[in-house]
Amino acid sequence: MTAVIHRRPRRDLALVWHQVRYEQLSFWRNPQSAFFTFVFPVVIISIFGALFHGAGHSSYFYGLSALQYYVPTIAAVSVLGACYSQLAIVLATRRQDGILKRIRATPLPAWAYFLGLLGHCIVVSAIDVVLIVAVGRLFGVPLPTHWAAIMVALVLGAACFCALGVAVASLIRNAEAAPAVVQLVLFPLVFISGTYLPIHSAVLNQVTGVLPVRPLNQALLGPFAEHTGFAWHDLAVLLAWGVIGGLVAIRRFRWNPRAE
Amino acid sequence: MRAKLSTVNGTVMARPGRPPAVTVAGLRKSYGAVAAVRGVSFTVAHGEIFALLGPNGAGKTTALEILEGFRARDAGQADVLGFDPGDRATGRALRERIGLVLQDIAVEPYLTVRETIARNAGYYPAPRPVGEVISLVGLTGQARQKVRSLSGGQKRRLDLALGLVGHPDLLFLDEPTTGFDPSARREAWQLISGLRAAGTTILLTTHYMDEAQALADRLAVISDGRIVAEGTPATIGGRDHAMARIRFTLPPGYEPGDLPLAAEPGEGGTVTVPAAEPTRALHQLTGWALGHGTVLAGLTVDQPSLEDIYLRLTDSSAGQEERSIR
Repeated sequence: MTAVIHRRPRRDLALVWHQVRYEQLSFWRNPQSAFFTFVFPVVIISIFGALFHGAGHSSYFYGLSALQYYVPTIAAVSVLGACYSQLAIVLATRRQDGILKRIRATPLPAWAYFLGLLGHCIVVSAIDVVLIVAVGRLFGVPLPTHWAAIMVALVLGAACFCALGVAVASLIRNAEAAPAVVQLVLFPLVFISGTYLPIHSAVLNQVTGVLPVRPLNQALLGPFAEHTGFAWHDLAVLLAWGVIGGLVAIRRFRWNPRAE
Repeated sequence: MRAKLSTVNGTVMARPGRPPAVTVAGLRKSYGAVAAVRGVSFTVAHGEIFALLGPNGAGKTTALEILEGFRARDAGQADVLGFDPGDRATGRALRERIGLVLQDIAVEPYLTVRETIARNAGYYPAPRPVGEVISLVGLTGQARQKVRSLSGGQKRRLDLALGLVGHPDLLFLDEPTTGFDPSARREAWQLISGLRAAGTTILLTTHYMDEAQALADRLAVISDGRIVAEGTPATIGGRDHAMARIRFTLPPGYEPGDLPLAAEPGEGGTVTVPAAEPTRALHQLTGWALGHGTVLAGLTVDQPSLEDIYLRLTDSSAGQEERSIR
């Protein structure tokens, strides 16, 4: 007979919610993360709004007005910042500071830790997107109609870029290098994916169409501005990148500040 | 296989024949060509404080990290509260019952003290109340402060709070008072003794002799990845059988050879007389002094301190081969 001390297993969903709450608390109190990942896209869309306010539809923006084009692409870049950049930098820093090791010392399961981070990133992304849409509305951009397609694109995009953020954090060796590495990968990719300027090169669009950033832009542009629904092909590409990021993260993620 | 336990008011009571809280046998671990732990064996009984004492780089932390489940062992057995710490499948169940205070301070900067402790409390099935933990570690005045505004010593106390909040049966403390000022150390010792009194088993590492002396029920001296002595603070290394040492300043005009007993000259004109029977030896020496109309200035009698024993143990094992200190 084994007598067991009775200890109630905390319900797993409650545990994930517990994590989301404290990640939120940590995030909003950190002026640096709150500014760069959260305020930055809102500032950009406000500047674009002031610049392109009143500009008509043009073929350069695929028959859309400039702001109709920028609201979804800046929304996409806010998801990148809130998920990919934030996670890669935060996790690399927490690992170097020994905070991840300390988490590993508790009974909190790894999946609950990561689901908590994912939930946190989705919350930050969602608030950012709502603010960006609201700024767009102020400058006369009509509200989107296909909210279900937007929600799916946002959640899948957030999950994909979270997975990629964790993957990059697994490959970065020290936290000082993290912001540089993250931007080095992200900035050119964002640029050639048409986030800040529409790209009219068919070849380039084919290449970036199978990389992670452009598919999220496209999956949001459709339901936001063109009244189309689910962009299945783009969503499939995002899913594939999410799986790749997840596999790298599972195989390579370290909790310990020093390699064994 | 879980140990047989019964609970009374939530306190785990020992039953006769209860297996040890920790059993380690033939533990080995190498990093590449460097053997950090080479065949370490010891047991820790429920309810006691066991100290692993050794110089930096002796293998204390590696041994502890294997038991905490952070590192895989190369060989040997390890049993912690009936669990194999290397078994990932039972890792969560084991971590619900142990508390860890690691050597490096690691706490997130933007939460308050209370929030940090409340967050970790949520990870355990039967945590201590947050307010109780805060007052246990003496951070009541800082409960609402952000972690980044705490002093180094306060951060360490917060780290200790995180080790305690899960109400662990077994607490691992890796050099718990390194960097503390003397009064903070006394307070930490009181806290640790109090935890033992409340039934917590404690396995700690330290390189402070006085800490082992003040806290440990039993201790093992580890040097170069091996245990070189094991016992209680009073008996380790044959300390209880060692010769007493009578020390005094040699009276002016006399040579050590003039004394009635063999004496070793020391610093500043002092001499040391080793004595198996200090009562008799003292009588002979003081009789000699009175007979010559002189005094034995600065006369002291002592047993070898734990530090003397420790230095002897760690020196002799280090002498066998060159040890590089990281």
